Amino acid sequence: MAQILFYAFALFTLACAVGVVVNKNAVNAAMCLLLSLVGVAGLFVQLDAYLLAFLLLLVYAGAVVALFLFIVMLLDMKDTAAHGFRKISGFASVFALGLLVTGVSTFVVRGRLTTPNPNLAAAVGTDLKHYAYQLFTTYLLPVQVIGFLLLIAMLGVIVLSKRWEGLDDIK
Amino acid sequence: MNLEVVKLAAADNQWGAIFPELMLACIALALLALEIVLPKKLHAYIPDFALSGLVGTLAGLLFNFRSAALGHDTFNGLLHHSEAGQVMRAFFLLVAILVCVLARVSLAKQKMPRIEFYHLVLIVTGAMMLLAQSNHFVMLFVALETVTIGFYILVSYFRTSTASLEAGLKYLVMGALSSGLLLFGIVLLYGVAGNPDLPAHTASAMNFKALAQFLAANPHHFLASAGIVLVLAGVAFKIGAFPFQIWVPDVYQGAPTPVTAFLAVGSKAAGFAVLLILARDVFAAYAWLVTPVLIAMAAATIIFGNLAALTQHNVKRLIGLSGVSHAGFLLLGVVAAATVPMAQGAIYFYLFAYLIASFAVFGVMTHVAGANDSDQDLDHYAGLAKESPFLAAVLAIGLGSLAGIPPLAGFMGKLFIFISAFQGGARWLLALAAAGVVISIYYYFGWIKAAFFEQWMPPADTADPRPARTPVSFVSGLTLGSLALASVLLGFYQGPLGQWLTMK
Repeated sequence: MAQILFYAFALFTLACAVGVVVNKNAVNAAMCLLLSLVGVAGLFVQLDAYLLAFLLLLVYAGAVVALFLFIVMLLDMKDTAAHGFRKISGFASVFALGLLVTGVSTFVVRGRLTTPNPNLAAAVGTDLKHYAYQLFTTYLLPVQVIGFLLLIAMLGVIVLSKRWEGLDDIK
Repeated sequence: MNLEVVKLAAADNQWGAIFPELMLACIALALLALEIVLPKKLHAYIPDFALSGLVGTLAGLLFNFRSAALGHDTFNGLLHHSEAGQVMRAFFLLVAILVCVLARVSLAKQKMPRIEFYHLVLIVTGAMMLLAQSNHFVMLFVALETVTIGFYILVSYFRTSTASLEAGLKYLVMGALSSGLLLFGIVLLYGVAGNPDLPAHTASAMNFKALAQFLAANPHHFLASAGIVLVLAGVAFKIGAFPFQIWVPDVYQGAPTPVTAFLAVGSKAAGFAVLLILARDVFAAYAWLVTPVLIAMAAATIIFGNLAALTQHNVKRLIGLSGVSHAGFLLLGVVAAATVPMAQGAIYFYLFAYLIASFAVFGVMTHVAGANDSDQDLDHYAGLAKESPFLAAVLAIGLGSLAGIPPLAGFMGKLFIFISAFQGGARWLLALAAAGVVISIYYYFGWIKAAFFEQWMPPADTADPRPARTPVSFVSGLTLGSLALASVLLGFYQGPLGQWLTMK
């Protein structure tokens, strides 16, 4: 049963990810991205990583993709003429496909990917309380640094997008 | 979870051990507060406030160089305080001071908000300092992302210029790709090292020491080596090593000149600090893999950087591509560092020599550049020696040091790196590097030739299309003069830096 569910979710995720790339309509592509993220969340649930699955749905599928959709609709993209197929891109894609197949098959053959031991120790992030304790004791410094990261990201948005007036006085 | 364990973990967060970083964060926040509180006519003093804060922090760091935390882990193993870490901290503070000096010259030519620039520089510097001391992949990645996001904004800071915005976008895309590679690598390593079927598996696989022990117990694991290669690729993006140098010319050209200097020196040094920790200590058991990868990268980087720089006419692209070749020389040092103890000191000396020479050149560039910051041509330097002998002399010393002309500091830097590479046994790579140096002399001297021997022929029909040169103020004159002096002095006398270097 678990095996079937895994393959179902994996196939769903991959199919939607392909949909993101091949869709010409930006809104449809964003919706495919959302579905793909739901598929990944399903995989996380199967790994007993409920918190991660929940965060993925809440933050990425909920907030980030909604933001994408807002921006896509705000920009009102017209269908731009697609680039014609060029020989060089054909060669490049076949070459890339070859590399991809080599990479994946190497992982399968040499990676010694076996079914993991069932008595694995529970990872840190599985339950929320444990996670929160870790975040505010062991990992307090990175959390603080992330605070500054968010601050400069916000500052960057303001600096790069605000309409500045009266800049002549600042000299 | 047991509350006692939590208390113990919290007690290991010794905030005193990172007082320079805390100082920078406080000053950065104070800058924003001052902008709100102070009346507009006092805003001109806020950059001076940032600059004096940086100088004060550097003084405090040097005064407490042998701090109590030295040689210990703090923050539950997230940070490791070492002598090398202290040196890199001082390095990044020095970089930030010089970037602020250049920014005063460069920002004065633009209609741009000023204060936010200094705020970003301070935060990025603090993150770099944490990066150089990180002992844990979580800390490393968070600090690296803070640096990278700060640079996304700084690169596109001159947003009225399309070149700057284009550079910002390119840096964003390539930076996201490199962060992705790094994360893939970290996740693979974490997953493999947590596998209970393998010997010496560990629950805290993100910790460098635990990971190094695991790797030593499993010296030929395929997934671990895939992870290591991906992590190295992610770091190689930051230092601009071949084949991950593709972003360098465009981003260096489009970014504001002080940011180009910050990228060329600060970001590259941060990458090398991380690479040195990873290649020398963490991945030591995988030297069979890491050393050939680094050797191939060093050879390709030296060849590519020097050949590509030959044809450049825009000075920012030229210095960017020559920076790629410097990354190659430094990689040579990293290769040697696996076996030769002196190589580590040689890399730090090279970085300091590179800092001094680069900022001398970038300082001259900010004075010669006009309002269009991305358009800085070699022709603009024609006749510089006649019109401004001081700038031309600083330029000549800086470029000479970058090219490695004796007796300047850059020569000593290259010499130390080459000696350690010789001891490490990378002979053919050394021959390649020597050829690279010869090529680099050609394009560096093309620049010097433009400044000293070429006459500017104004076009007959139009006015002088060259941007007007900024007169040298007292502060920037003092800075440029002392950088040039330091380039000469460090060539003769390496001081405590040299002692530390030979002692190792």
